[in-house]
Amino acid sequence: MSLVELLDVVKRYGRHTVLNGVSLSVEKGEIIAIIGRSGSGKSTLLRCVNGLEPIHGGTVSFDGTVVNDPATDLRKLRQHVGIVFQSFNLFPHLSVEKNITLAPKVVKRVPPAEARQLAEAVLRKVGLAEKIDAYPDQLSGGQQQRVAIARSLAMSPQVMLFDEITSALDPELVGEVLKVLEEMARDGMTMMLVTHEIGFARKVADRVVFMHEGRIWEEGPAAATLAQPRTPELETFLNAVLH
Amino acid sequence: MIRELSFIDVLYLIAATRWTLALTAIAFAGGGLVGLAVALLRVSGLAPLRWLGGLYVLVVQGTPLLAWLFVFFFGFSIFGITVSPWIAAAASYSIYAGAFLGEIWRGCLQAIPRTQWEAGASLGLGFTQQLRYIIVPQALRLAIPPTVGFLVQLIKNTSLAAVIGFIELTREGQLTTATTFRPFTVYLIVAAIYFALCFPLTQVSRRLERRLHVAR
Repeated sequence: MSLVELLDVVKRYGRHTVLNGVSLSVEKGEIIAIIGRSGSGKSTLLRCVNGLEPIHGGTVSFDGTVVNDPATDLRKLRQHVGIVFQSFNLFPHLSVEKNITLAPKVVKRVPPAEARQLAEAVLRKVGLAEKIDAYPDQLSGGQQQRVAIARSLAMSPQVMLFDEITSALDPELVGEVLKVLEEMARDGMTMMLVTHEIGFARKVADRVVFMHEGRIWEEGPAAATLAQPRTPELETFLNAVLH
Repeated sequence: MIRELSFIDVLYLIAATRWTLALTAIAFAGGGLVGLAVALLRVSGLAPLRWLGGLYVLVVQGTPLLAWLFVFFFGFSIFGITVSPWIAAAASYSIYAGAFLGEIWRGCLQAIPRTQWEAGASLGLGFTQQLRYIIVPQALRLAIPPTVGFLVQLIKNTSLAAVIGFIELTREGQLTTATTFRPFTVYLIVAAIYFALCFPLTQVSRRLERRLHVAR
């Protein structure tokens, strides 16, 4: 059984249909890059996976649990589904350590001493061990985003969702964040990433999903799909972003 | 009978200030509790609760405090229920202050971006945990200046309780004026006492704000 499974998902904002029957399965350890123009529904698709967006039709399931079932305990589900946002969304009133340890302490009841070690461990993974006592506003955008990734990793999720995590960064800071993603990919993390970094998608992703007008317009193995798009829409899109 | 304004009158004024302070304390405590409830209703995820909170604010902000005092103190006596001035004042001021504090605090809670709630929810925190660990600590700093501002208003508004028999600072000033016929001096003293109460508060507010800012 797939780890994440979307079946015929429909999502509307008022009269505007953002997702118009989207089906997608993600296997354990797979890395999926979701690309497409802004407004094509790719961020919404991602946010449906951890139940941040309620849906109007179809089903979203994670590891056999139906996300859109009202009886599902979303708090429990979200411990296993990490998400990193475009705008970092660190807690500005908390130090890096407290940002990372808040959820483990409050949700998983990890004791304080152990939580500190956990923070150190995940910060080492993103190369920011020395920033443990800093506050978010003392960090660069790239560092903040790496802390956000570490914060998510501290809950040891089974799948990570990345919502355009490099789009708000200065170009010279994009590399350090992508490097962290590559390492996570090497560690076998299941990842779904919405991205505009086509080069990165080609290099790291197993599969590319191209969203257009609320549907999955085209999908396939990353390298082949990006090298030889089958639909004119993907071809146009790739020409636009690559030039 | 008119007599000279003397030092003893000043002492009387200062003594009457204790009722001003007591009324303020009751109003702020009661209003704080009501306000907290109102603010939480107003940010709740359930629409009927939000409407309930909104309706409360609408009604209370649209009616004079004086009317509430009259209703509680005189209104109930029609049914043969005697309400002590303290109960009437506590109820009226809590209802009144609760609406205003509730609105102030709601505004502060809502000033924290929705993405902060989302970040908390995505880590598996529940609604109350998001409030307690993420939203309230950030909203607190925003809340200090307007809350102290309202408290200062409240101190001055306790003079309305004179209508149900409280001889607090302003009322004592009126009485003193009636016997000494020195309104200018008396009310200047009254004003000075109010200022002595309010000025330190605004100073504390500033220091608190600065301290919370440094600690984020």
